Amino acid sequence: MADAASGSTDKSVQVKLVLLGEAAVGKSSVVLRFVSDEFQANKEPTIGAAFLTQKCRLEDRVLRYEIWDTAGQERFHSLAPMYYRNAQAAVVVYDITKASSLDKAKSWVKELQRQANPNIVIALAGNKLDLVQPSILQSGTPSSESEDEADDATATPGETPSSPGESDGLRQVPRDEAQAYATEAGLLFFETSAKTGEGIVDIFTEIAKKIPIEHILAAGGGVRRPGAPGGRSGNAQEGAVNLEENANKPKDACNC
Amino acid sequence: MSTISTALRDFKEPTKEQITQNFFSLASIPAAIGKDAREADDEVEKMDINAVLSLGVEGEEDSYAGKLYLMAPYLAFSSLDKKSVRFTIPLSTIRRVERLNARAGIYALSLALWHGGKIIVQLTSLRPTADLFCALLRDALKIELQRGRMKSVKGFVKTCYSEVLVSGSAFTPSDEKDEHSASEASESSYHGGLGLRFKFPGDPKKLREASKIKLWMTYLKTHGRNLTLLRYPQCTRLVQVGLPNRLRGEMWETLSGSIFLRYSNPGLYEQLLEQNTGRTTTSTEDIEKDLHRSLPEYAGYQSEEGISALRRVLQAYSFKNPELGYCQAMNILAAAILIYMSEEQAFWLLEVLCDRLLPGYYAPSMHGTLLDQRVFESLVQRCLPIIHDHFQAVDVQLSVASLPWFLSLYINSMPMIFAFRIVDCFFCMGPKVLFQVGLAILKINGEKLLQIQDDGGFLNLMRDYFASLGDSAHPHSTDPRARAITRFQELLLVSFREFSVITDDLILSERKRFRNEIIHSIETFSKRSAVRNLRSLGRFTKDQAGLVYDALYQAMCVIPPPPAQLPPPTLLNDGVEEKPETRIQLKTFQYFLSEIATWARDEKIVSNGFQQRVDRDVAEHEFIDRLFFFWDTSCCGALSFQDLVAGLDGVMFNDLMENIEWFFNLHDKNKDGFLTKDEVLTVSESFLFIFRFEVGDAYLGAVSRFMTNAFEYGDALLADVNQRKESEDDETEPRSPLPLPSNQPYLNLATFRMVVLADEILESFFETDLSASFRLDPISELELPPSSSGLLGEFWSTIATDSNKKMFNLFTDEIGKTIGKHQVIHRPSIGRYKTLEEPKARESLLTPGMRHSVSKSSLRSSPSSSSLRPSSPSQGLTVKVPSSKDFQEPASAVGYSPMVQAANAALLARPAFTIDDSKDDDDDAEDELEAGDNDDQVMDEVDAFLEAHDSGLTDADKEVAKDLINAEPVK
Repeated sequence: MADAASGSTDKSVQVKLVLLGEAAVGKSSVVLRFVSDEFQANKEPTIGAAFLTQKCRLEDRVLRYEIWDTAGQERFHSLAPMYYRNAQAAVVVYDITKASSLDKAKSWVKELQRQANPNIVIALAGNKLDLVQPSILQSGTPSSESEDEADDATATPGETPSSPGESDGLRQVPRDEAQAYATEAGLLFFETSAKTGEGIVDIFTEIAKKIPIEHILAAGGGVRRPGAPGGRSGNAQEGAVNLEENANKPKDACNC
Repeated sequence: MSTISTALRDFKEPTKEQITQNFFSLASIPAAIGKDAREADDEVEKMDINAVLSLGVEGEEDSYAGKLYLMAPYLAFSSLDKKSVRFTIPLSTIRRVERLNARAGIYALSLALWHGGKIIVQLTSLRPTADLFCALLRDALKIELQRGRMKSVKGFVKTCYSEVLVSGSAFTPSDEKDEHSASEASESSYHGGLGLRFKFPGDPKKLREASKIKLWMTYLKTHGRNLTLLRYPQCTRLVQVGLPNRLRGEMWETLSGSIFLRYSNPGLYEQLLEQNTGRTTTSTEDIEKDLHRSLPEYAGYQSEEGISALRRVLQAYSFKNPELGYCQAMNILAAAILIYMSEEQAFWLLEVLCDRLLPGYYAPSMHGTLLDQRVFESLVQRCLPIIHDHFQAVDVQLSVASLPWFLSLYINSMPMIFAFRIVDCFFCMGPKVLFQVGLAILKINGEKLLQIQDDGGFLNLMRDYFASLGDSAHPHSTDPRARAITRFQELLLVSFREFSVITDDLILSERKRFRNEIIHSIETFSKRSAVRNLRSLGRFTKDQAGLVYDALYQAMCVIPPPPAQLPPPTLLNDGVEEKPETRIQLKTFQYFLSEIATWARDEKIVSNGFQQRVDRDVAEHEFIDRLFFFWDTSCCGALSFQDLVAGLDGVMFNDLMENIEWFFNLHDKNKDGFLTKDEVLTVSESFLFIFRFEVGDAYLGAVSRFMTNAFEYGDALLADVNQRKESEDDETEPRSPLPLPSNQPYLNLATFRMVVLADEILESFFETDLSASFRLDPISELELPPSSSGLLGEFWSTIATDSNKKMFNLFTDEIGKTIGKHQVIHRPSIGRYKTLEEPKARESLLTPGMRHSVSKSSLRSSPSSSSLRPSSPSQGLTVKVPSSKDFQEPASAVGYSPMVQAANAALLARPAFTIDDSKDDDDDAEDELEAGDNDDQVMDEVDAFLEAHDSGLTDADKEVAKDLINAEPVK
């Protein structure tokens, strides 16, 4: 579209993105789903932060997400500034089956808004949507190691549904409430499931749209903000705006 | 919303003795959980003595000069260079001590050890010293014998694989090919890890397991093993080529000293688990989340056996050390060591790791991690300045990569077989290894590192490097031997050869240097988040809330709140567990308030001719207690930071009317909108408390007028009511009316307001003074003590303790008294009328009072006039308060006359000199100056270190390094 960017289409735009949220809400799983379209039952916990990259195409521009997936345990909190400094985007994840995780998410948002890059684009993601969707497969065998139930290996055992019929009762954070908070705080908002993949790509697409790329491209003068706002409603998880382009490329995941 | 911890303030630099104990892998604090009486230890003195150590086997090892330490119940030795030779052995493994017949002038002891070996120590100190040492040794041995420790050795060593190895080899010489035969025979008796069942990582052939085992067998036979391992240079060399898998677990516990903990606390691990069966804590919940993500690719952790072992070890540790609990990364360590060790062994090794080897790494604040990252950064700056500068230039943070290196001992950064070899060296040579390896990684990748532009590039480079550790370091070399050197070997070589300057002492002193910086940044960070997480700031700015936090923090440092901050049982609130929140008790609150409210402290300005200082005490009064409970809106008997902010917000921004109402509500206990007579009396007591140090009688007068008016108006109102209600009571005097119980509603807010506004002084008090008496000033004491180090620092810190300061003050006071210059003045809390009386020069003593009497009409209310009864209802109420002097009964003087006296004293003392506030700070300024000097000294000391180590030690290290290359390919 904008000719100023034409020279840089092959040269991807780097976007530093940080994931924050309470422990075991599924941050790493969200990233893994996005980066390699996988779901892993047992992911090693993140020590400090994991670093992953994923390229994605938005219209005629290639964005290269540098994703910092941080440790969720409370005591790692003081390390977080190291990772969110200079970040252009943040995904704050909470667990819709755990009310307290939204409180923690709110406190992260507060912190980001005060301490991080002032132009940071923040998305709020309520993860583990699969747990509250009425599904035929929800069979509550308490003994099994929750790999089949939760969309994240780190789900606390207590959260496995006690009976299949009550699956919707697991939800502790109503969608409206979180949506209202997100609107008020000026965040993008999604409910996601890293296990089924629902909503994951949308997060990154919408962030890509909202990010002031012209700021990042020091050269690009009058690049128009790509994409019209509000066009996301129609996106199915699979057909998201050609963000899946390099699903076949070698994974960039790393654990160091 | 969150907890506030002052734990970091309690840090004490390790003493020399502790450093020595650490060096010898002994727990610095004799495991406090030990149930048997440990007083015995104190009876035996610690002693060290110069000695020459010889191994009792001819021609096996050289003799080494060094120092022998008696640290009951252990005996330890270190060669002079602190690295060649050393041992730590429990006294209970010593079977016999003999004085050797030798040439005259030589004093030598022969010690026969449990494993059959013999060592000879020649005590080279003077004869009397040697005699003393022997006597102490004898006593210590006797105590061990009495405690029956000698007998426990036999049972214990059975749990050690080395015994099997050494004895088993006697009948299975063909051990070389397959060690299974030897081990299976006695599998049940010795401790081992999951590796025995699920295989050890790596290919045993490539790892040359068999030859390593053989070398160790030879070494252990002659040099002792497990409890009695003597560490000669060969031992370190063998460790550096990598421990054999089967022996690894035991060597880790032997080298790290955790074996001594297991030895001296038998059964404790099982007990801990038993006592806490079924208990869930936040730690156990966190552990549960991570169990399946700890080295998940290892077969052992895909089975329930491995998972439950991991669970038990981590839980047991969290029960033993609830303050630390569980920190992510510990799961990785525990999972790793459980491959090689039994649960009990792993438990004690974890203890040593968290407590001694990686101090503070996993603490809730992770201060140790942050500190060592800072130290590492400074070492990079010093050793690899070009890389450091480049990182600065492109704004790359070292920690993004290096933090996990340290936190998980490289285990989840590099392939496990390599990481474990680093861990081998780490247990053998100490924490410096982590730094040496880290520096070597950067150095080897130096050129590429100079190309990177951001954090991401840095991480990618590191990841690629770690993935290639198994490759040849010199793939294009023509020399096949050079080609055979792997990148990992190169890494170790560079680590130990080029960074031998990094010593444990250097790291200790660097930690010392940066500790305050780190503590400060952690405290600032938690302050910021505490302020940010307040549900409501009220009308405070963030900075002001920060000052409230400072006062709270200061108070918590002085009077720590009770440790158990566990939230109330979380039975009902499913899922929505309350986060533990720091709440302070009344005592801490009193201190807190004394930092903020001028009337909540007793400040005495003391001058004694030498110095002038302000002695500050925390005031105690019912009024403060009342405030505490008034602010405790959730009624849990303790206040949170939020409560304090909300409470202060309720008074600091008030205007006249709001303040009157606030004061009224504060005293209206049952919140019915009325003060009872008792409460009216309490109000006046509160006034008197607040005004207790005011100069002049104006305030006393005001309070007495308040009393008069309050009862006058109150009775008037009451009379109305009564007359309307019961006319037959007419004959009763209105002044001393019906036997109205003192706890009946009496005065409403409107009346109270009227009474207050009737008095000019009270009006001004409520208009401005009350709110202004709460002051948010920066608290100077919060500054950390200067990072005192070096000789001078230690010297100073021993002198400048609080108690010494007190002594000094007392001393000067005494002198001051004798020369008649000692004076004490209470600093007024409100001080409104201070200016009036501030004498320009010396004036006659009466001047202030006289002036007062001109300006205020209050002097008439002489001390006795307002008789204030303490609110004991039994005495009945006297309402004709102001009329008489005839009320001077002693009881009425309680709480009152001291104040009058104080006020009078203040009046008299006042004009003698003028208060010079700025002077108070002089002492502090001097302290700081001192500190500056100390800092320089630190640098000097460090520089000295570097030079000292650059020379002298490299030869030895080269040799080690050379051996390292040669050692691996042999046979």
